[in-house]
Amino acid sequence: MTMIDEDVLINALNDVASAFEISPDATDRILTEAQANEPPSRSRHVPTLISQPSRGRALLVAAALIVIVAGVSVPLFRSEGNSNKIAAFGPLGSRHASQGSVTTTAPPLAISGTGSAAALLPPGVSGKTLNGTGLTQVSANALKTSTSLKIESSGSIALTVAKGHVESAFTRLSKLATSDGGFVDSTEANVGSRTSGKFSYGTIVVQVPQRNFAKLVAQAQRVGHETSVSTSSNDVTAQYVDLQAHITALEASRRQYLVIMTKATTIDGILAVQSQLNTLQSQIEQLQGQLNVLSHETTYGTLTVAVSEVGHAHGSTPLTGFSKAWHDSVSGFISGFQWLLRLAGPILFAVLALGALFTLAKFARRVVRRRRL
Amino acid sequence: MDDLQAWLAECYPQSVRTAYLILGNRLDAEDAVQESFLRAWKFRDSLSKESSFKPWLYRVVVNTCNSKLRHDIPRREGRVNDVNLVDIATYDDLPGRIALSNDVMSALRDLPVHLRVVVVLRYYADLSEREIAIAIARKQGTVKSRLNEARSRLALHPALRSESSRSSTTSKEVTG
Repeated sequence: MTMIDEDVLINALNDVASAFEISPDATDRILTEAQANEPPSRSRHVPTLISQPSRGRALLVAAALIVIVAGVSVPLFRSEGNSNKIAAFGPLGSRHASQGSVTTTAPPLAISGTGSAAALLPPGVSGKTLNGTGLTQVSANALKTSTSLKIESSGSIALTVAKGHVESAFTRLSKLATSDGGFVDSTEANVGSRTSGKFSYGTIVVQVPQRNFAKLVAQAQRVGHETSVSTSSNDVTAQYVDLQAHITALEASRRQYLVIMTKATTIDGILAVQSQLNTLQSQIEQLQGQLNVLSHETTYGTLTVAVSEVGHAHGSTPLTGFSKAWHDSVSGFISGFQWLLRLAGPILFAVLALGALFTLAKFARRVVRRRRL
Repeated sequence: MDDLQAWLAECYPQSVRTAYLILGNRLDAEDAVQESFLRAWKFRDSLSKESSFKPWLYRVVVNTCNSKLRHDIPRREGRVNDVNLVDIATYDDLPGRIALSNDVMSALRDLPVHLRVVVVLRYYADLSEREIAIAIARKQGTVKSRLNEARSRLALHPALRSESSRSSTTSKEVTG
């Protein structure tokens, strides 16, 4: 079996490890902190996480309570959240909520704090070097304040129109999209069994600039009689800012490598730096690609409109005889499965809660052992 | 407090560099070692007089590093190695040093943590297999097999393959 030479490994590890200076203040900081944490009169008592058996039991009980409270409160919060979202969406939400078929999500009002904009440097580049120019510390906050909200919006509407008017509905929807500065992404039309020569149902997907998305949704509903409306928005500002910060940091690193390149005097040296530059360049291009995709998604909102003729039931006819029996049988099977699925939820929750308790107990035991160090 | 001062003088620099090789980032390494020393000092009574100090301290350092790798570091995106290229560039053999340092760090990063730890403790911290076994709370046989696996994986790593084939050629020449 091929193995790496031990001497090579030892030398290389020593080189890498000694490539930076140890901060002289670090030991003082540790001493100061240790002094601050030192109790006034130290007893011979060894501090441990669990000094008495009852404390361990109390921890386990607390963990169990947290699991149970979390299990109960998450679905509650979720249902509360949904009602808030419908209320926040305004007239559209309230209007279609009464029809029992609307699912709306309000766009967030503030930038969420998730995501990290820590500077991304390539392997082998010194943080210290770049700090000198003040380029590695890309401030996520600064970028966030300079970046407007980035929202992805999408939605779907189901419309019914008079017989033989599916094509004209498509034409009207296309015109609406283009007049709002958008375009038709795709269309699909089908001829049903009850009509001949004309399309009886189909789907059209249109994309419009974000600012006109709500307007298009409202206009599209007037093209026919809407049977369901569903829209959703997703705030991707944090993701967008992260990508921007990474790209900025990588570009800063690339500039530093270019400076180092000018100092290299041998071909080998130039090649080594060039290799790093190539890696950086590919990373920058990859992130730039992701940024472009995100930018497109946040520039345009996507609306899918399903249009069908009045009375169109996608080819279904009243069932009789064997087909009815078969249909009932399938329905019964699905109902039974749904019933099982409904039952599975509470059972799964109980199993998960027990599993979580067991894992917590194991983890607590391990922590106790470690803390005894 | 004098004991802690002595510990720091004796072990701090090597501990930071060891943690750096495990974590791949200097700031994380300094954080981890500071935390380790404070924890070791707090629980110093659990160090029995017969047992040796160094593996015990490394056990605390390795535990802290593992904890950082499990909890803190994965939550941050884009954390990268911060070897100071300028410092390396002051060496005589600039291209060789840069290339090998980058290759080693790259190969180390790709090793699973449990293998990376034993490699660093053995070949950088210079602990014996017995001491490593104490430091990672595993049997000596486990340490030996992990070291073998790590060396094989490093030899097969694309970044170090040329290095391992060069050293095997050299050894063949010597024996030939």
